[in-house]
Amino acid sequence: MPFDQLDLKRAIGGDERAMQRLWSQHAPHIDAVVRRLCGDPELAADISQEVWMQIFRALPSYRGDSQFGTWAHRIAVNRTLNALRKIRRIAKLEIEIEDDTAMTEMETDRTFMAESIEQAMGKLSPGARAVFVLHDVEGYTHGEIGEELGITPGGSKSQLFKARAKLRKLLVHLVDESPTAGKGKGHVASV
Amino acid sequence: MSHLSEEQLDQIIAAERAREQEPLNEWRTIAARAREEGLIRESQTSRGWVSSQPWLQAAAAVLLLIGGIAIGRTTIGLPSSGTPSASDAAVANSAPAPSPTPTATASPTQLDNVSFASVDDAAAALDRAVREYKQASQFLAANNLSAPNEDSAAMYRTRAAALDKIVNATESALQTAPHDPVINQYYLATIGARVATRQAVSVGLRGF
Repeated sequence: MPFDQLDLKRAIGGDERAMQRLWSQHAPHIDAVVRRLCGDPELAADISQEVWMQIFRALPSYRGDSQFGTWAHRIAVNRTLNALRKIRRIAKLEIEIEDDTAMTEMETDRTFMAESIEQAMGKLSPGARAVFVLHDVEGYTHGEIGEELGITPGGSKSQLFKARAKLRKLLVHLVDESPTAGKGKGHVASV
Repeated sequence: MSHLSEEQLDQIIAAERAREQEPLNEWRTIAARAREEGLIRESQTSRGWVSSQPWLQAAAAVLLLIGGIAIGRTTIGLPSSGTPSASDAAVANSAPAPSPTPTATASPTQLDNVSFASVDDAAAALDRAVREYKQASQFLAANNLSAPNEDSAAMYRTRAAALDKIVNATESALQTAPHDPVINQYYLATIGARVATRQAVSVGLRGF
C-alpha cells in the first residue's frame, strides 16, 4: 500500500504523527495555492489553518478516487475562495469583471515594476488574480473556474486576458535584453 | 519593449508553478486546533513503543546521524572523514539526538553523558532538538556559503537528490515503525530541508 494511504488510515484514526506527515508532505503545495489566491501572507496563514482543519475533518470522506494531493488541493481552493468571499474580497466579482478594463487602463502607477510574479499578482484585482491563478498556475479550465467563482466561462476568459496583459506589463523589466541573451528575443531573468 | 511576450510570461508562470514554498503555519499551530476539535487522539501505541524499544531508537538515531553528516559533507564538498571540525559539531548539535536543552552545545562525544529523568523528558528534548535541527537545516539549505554560481547550483541539485533518497529511506522505515519518534523527526526535518533546497534551486539560482 502506498505510503500516503497508510498514513491516511492512521490519520483518520487520530494519529498525530500520521497527520503531521501528511501535512509536511502536502503543505508546500496546498499552502502555495492559498497564498497565491489571497495575495496577502497574513490572511493566507489564517485561511491555511482553516483549510487544514477542513482537510482533516473531511479525511473519512476521502475515497481514493484521485490522488490525496489533488483532493486536498480542491478543498484548499474551495475553502480559500469561500473565505475570501466572506470577507467581501471577491463578493462583487461580477461587477469587478465589468470594471476591470477601466481598472487596468486607469492604473496611474505606471512606474511600478514587480520584483516577482507573486508581487505582480498582488497588483491584480482579487477576481482577476483568482482567475489567473486557477487557470494559468493551477490548470483549471474556464468552465471549472466559472463554477468555482460563479461566473461564465466567457467572463473567466476575459478576466484572464486582462490579467495576463497587466502581468506582462508589470514584469517586463525581468527580461534580460543584453546582447548575450540571445538574438534579440530576450531572456527571462531571475523572477 | 513595453510588455513581456506571451511566451516569456508563460516561462515565468511555469517557474512559479514549480516553486515550492514554506508552509504558512507551524505544525504545532495546526495540531493545537486539531486537538481542540478532537481530531487528534492520544495514541497509546506510540507511548508504548517509546518505552519498550529505546535501544532501537538509539541505533536508528546513530545511523541516521552518520548518514546525515555523510550526505551533508558530500553535498557541501567537505572531506568525509578526519578530525571533527566546527562544522561537524554544528551539524551534530542540530541533529535530532537527545539533548537536555534547545541550545545544547555538546559535542557528539559529550552527548554520551546526557541523561534524562523520564521518557517524557527525553521525548521533549528530542522535540526541541528536532525543531532546531529543522530550522538549522532549512537555513543551511537556503543559504549557500558563497555567492551563487554554477557550482552552487549543482550542489543544491545534488543535495535535493540526496534528500529525496533520505525521504524515501525514512518512508520505508516508517512503514514498519510508524510511531518511531526518531525516524518521524528525521522524516519531517528532511521534508523541511528538501522544500528549502528546492526553493533555492528554483528561485535563488535561476539564471545559471
